[in-house]
Amino acid sequence: MSKRLVRRFGGLLAVLALLGAACGSDDDEAADEPAATTEAADDPAATDATEVELVQADDDLLDTVMARGELKCGVSGAAVAFSETQPDGSQTGFDADYCRAVAAAIFGDAEAVEFVPLTAAERFTAVQTGAVDVLMRNTTWTQGRDTEVGMDFGPTTYYDGQQLMARAGDGFTSASTVADIDGAIVCTNAGTTTEQNIADAADAAGVSIQLNTFEDFDIVTTNFINGACNIVTTDGSALVGRKANQQPDGEEWVIFPPTPISKEPLGPTYGQNQSRFADVVNWTVYATIIADEKGITSGNVDARLGDGSLDAEAVRLLGGDGELQTAMGLSADAFHSVISQVGNYDEIYSRHLNPVGLSREGSANAGWLDGGLIYAPPAR
Amino acid sequence: MADGGDVPVIGDKPVIERVAARPAEETYRSPGEWVRKNLFPTPFNSFLTVAVGLFVLFSARGLLNFVFSEERGWDAVRTNLRLIFTHAYPEEQYVRVWVCVGVVAVLAGLSLGLFASRGDGLRLRKIANGLNAAAVAIAGGIVLREPSVLVGADGETVRDGDGVVRQSFAEAMTDRWGWWLVAAILAVIALALRRVPERSDGSHPAVRALDFAVGALAVPVISAWVYPWGHYAFADGEFIAEPGRTVAMSTKLPWTVMWVLAVASLIAGRWVRSRVDERALARLRVVVSCTWLLVPFVLYWVVLRDPDLDWDRILTVDMPLALAFGIGGGIVLRWLTKDGIGEFGRISAVALLGLAAFHWVAAFMGWYPMLQKVRISFLLLAVMALLAHNFSGEAAKRRRLVLAWFVITTVFHYFATVMNTPSTVETPTEALIGGFAVTLVVAVFTLMLSFPLGVVLALARTSRLPIFRVMSTAYIEVVRGVPLITILIFFVVILPLFLPANMEISLFASATLGYTLFSAAYLAENVRGGLQSIRRGQYEASDAVGLSTVQRTVFIVLPQSLRASIPPLVGQVIATFKETSLLAIIGVFDILRMANSVIPAQTQFLGIKREGLLFVSLVYWVFSYMLSKQSQRLERRLGVGER
Repeated sequence: MSKRLVRRFGGLLAVLALLGAACGSDDDEAADEPAATTEAADDPAATDATEVELVQADDDLLDTVMARGELKCGVSGAAVAFSETQPDGSQTGFDADYCRAVAAAIFGDAEAVEFVPLTAAERFTAVQTGAVDVLMRNTTWTQGRDTEVGMDFGPTTYYDGQQLMARAGDGFTSASTVADIDGAIVCTNAGTTTEQNIADAADAAGVSIQLNTFEDFDIVTTNFINGACNIVTTDGSALVGRKANQQPDGEEWVIFPPTPISKEPLGPTYGQNQSRFADVVNWTVYATIIADEKGITSGNVDARLGDGSLDAEAVRLLGGDGELQTAMGLSADAFHSVISQVGNYDEIYSRHLNPVGLSREGSANAGWLDGGLIYAPPAR
Repeated sequence: MADGGDVPVIGDKPVIERVAARPAEETYRSPGEWVRKNLFPTPFNSFLTVAVGLFVLFSARGLLNFVFSEERGWDAVRTNLRLIFTHAYPEEQYVRVWVCVGVVAVLAGLSLGLFASRGDGLRLRKIANGLNAAAVAIAGGIVLREPSVLVGADGETVRDGDGVVRQSFAEAMTDRWGWWLVAAILAVIALALRRVPERSDGSHPAVRALDFAVGALAVPVISAWVYPWGHYAFADGEFIAEPGRTVAMSTKLPWTVMWVLAVASLIAGRWVRSRVDERALARLRVVVSCTWLLVPFVLYWVVLRDPDLDWDRILTVDMPLALAFGIGGGIVLRWLTKDGIGEFGRISAVALLGLAAFHWVAAFMGWYPMLQKVRISFLLLAVMALLAHNFSGEAAKRRRLVLAWFVITTVFHYFATVMNTPSTVETPTEALIGGFAVTLVVAVFTLMLSFPLGVVLALARTSRLPIFRVMSTAYIEVVRGVPLITILIFFVVILPLFLPANMEISLFASATLGYTLFSAAYLAENVRGGLQSIRRGQYEASDAVGLSTVQRTVFIVLPQSLRASIPPLVGQVIATFKETSLLAIIGVFDILRMANSVIPAQTQFLGIKREGLLFVSLVYWVFSYMLSKQSQRLERRLGVGER
């Protein structure tokens, strides 16, 4: 009897061993059950799913992105003029175009972007877990975020700042200051720093205000239009957009004070300690700024390269010698692709931000030669 | 309307007889009589009628003024219909979406043809009353709505010192001639239906309710051929007023095809039903039901995604693996069901379970690599082996178990391969689909996964084995004590941090997982309610005829308890469907998020939010109402509450 038992178990084990041998040894299928499916099976970097780590610190992000053939770019998907989802599902806007610019630099193809729409709450986790390579999502550069959250910030592409908007009929002008709003009902959206900023500014100016907060800025604007609020406050870029699109006939809205009450520098954000990838993102931004400075646009870049009217720096940047770009791990004409496919800073800006009434002139977003803050280190 | 309010007194027929002859002959009262009887019977009731009536009128007026106001930006909804329903699914791949709709239409038609009971039918007079009521409602709406705002030649609204200038009442009434026409047409149809003579046997002429519903669906389909619903196409950042490119223009042909498919399969289903005997019909019904279960997987993973299959890998890895498991597992199962294997079979099954569990422990500890689907296959095989002793003995039973294993292996390996293959459908954003499609997909997958889980949890909670009971109770109480949004945020924000490096879980998958675990706990409680309604005698009787625990549960207890818990189960289904709107908070681009934040952020529709939200509520209501109606039908057919 015991002999039979052994034989039976032996047979069973032999079958199982055969099955095990047939299983292969690669483990790139990370999860097979329908609820937890990953589409990462085609990722050549995905080899060992058993090692638990928070961030892939060993992998070079630039190599990973290049191997993937597509840039994963975190955007808002619901930010007027910065990243809007169009009725056909495509992404347009200032941030979306900077995603395209980085893709053009890495792959020579501005369309090699996979946009990942993120909410404000998700965006930092997405960078930390590597769900996105770069975040272009109106993220203000602050000390805390830079040092604590595990991300690095690139050069600022848009200098925003909190401002107030009121009706001209109530006696406000664009030269009004916070000192003029005594006793007003000020509305803003809850859960952001704007609430704290306006309270601090009112305190500093020695005026008392009634602060009402609403869930989001659409509701704030509705309350402003129907008169429940005297003044609304949020980032200047958003106020200009609202004024351009929602100001009723026969009413005049003004935005003040001329100097914003807070600093909101917005720019690209990426995971910490990825200096090769960071260089690529930073210099893509700088390339658009330098091109703007020298008047090189997507329309004239080829003509100006051909007729020799460019200085040595511009030629170097656009791929003349090219060793600066190849040293970064890019192709020599990487920034030529950026300018010809996406455009220079001014083109990107005026394409998306001029239509909602944001002009560069006189703002912090003018070039440094025109008194603004948009400045790039030299390309040499 | 005039049929309503029959109190069982009036007429010369005794009450008893009316109850006995169920399709009771209804006494027809003139509208005046009906109004006096039902609306103004006593002074107090008259007062109530007037008060409530005024409230309803003012609410209706407010809603009408809101919906039809010139200030409303309905273009935001009409232009973004594509975004609202499928997000960024590429236009040139839309035929895939239509294939999915078509498959559902065919299956729905077949199911209705094979399953639907005849019922009493819908009397023509009742339809006529409904149409009359609709005509009156439209006429009332025309009169109630305030006169429109005047628009000048420059397209701007005309204003004077007091604000906008409106039309005179007479102008407004003549201006709305289109609506008057609609009301008149409805009234004429109602009149015509009333004139249809009674049948020769004296019964009222009637149509089948199902036929009427299908016919009514033809109205919107045909209307797309007549009127260009929707907005002109939006391309390259501009509105292109190009005739023939509105939503209706681009969808009228597909919708017509869908309608024809549904009708054809309904007729086919009825024809088959009239041809085959009861046994074959029962089998057909099982086939259709199983198809319904498989269809979501096929449609989402195969049709919509169009997997980019790597045949080298499939031929060298996936197929041999599936074959090895199918054949090897088949041999093992056949051996385990052999006559007289007795205790030894059970020990082997438990050993197999131990081996399967060991692979998972090894994966967790990182001892040796193994394909995930192999681990799952071992687990499935172990479960089947544990069940094997129920199928021992007869050759036919043993064959059935092995056959079931083949089917399970094939289906599982097929989907595991398809799901892990990248999609060929390129979308500009990360997600394959969004909008209402993602609502449907998450709801369907959640229900398919949480129903079995919920039943298992309910059985475990009522089990006599303390380990199962305690674990299940702990799980259910923990999940029920945590708000859904907390679970969702946990799964979406925290879960990715715990995953192994290089392993990603899509937002959609983690959200579905969260919903499933949440919904299963509630379903389990609903099923447990049903389980407790089963009398002891049922258990004793099944023990007396010698059924095993599994047989008793599967064949005696579960069918009765599931039938008893249909109303709460459907309530949970509707709740889950509506709870998918929480996806908007965790960043999935579902239908609510489209209306709430995406569309109001488009430069040309900045801040236009209420229109979209109203539309989204309408979509949710239509689907929830359909579910609720279906559950009522199901309850009637299974006689819940009557036996």
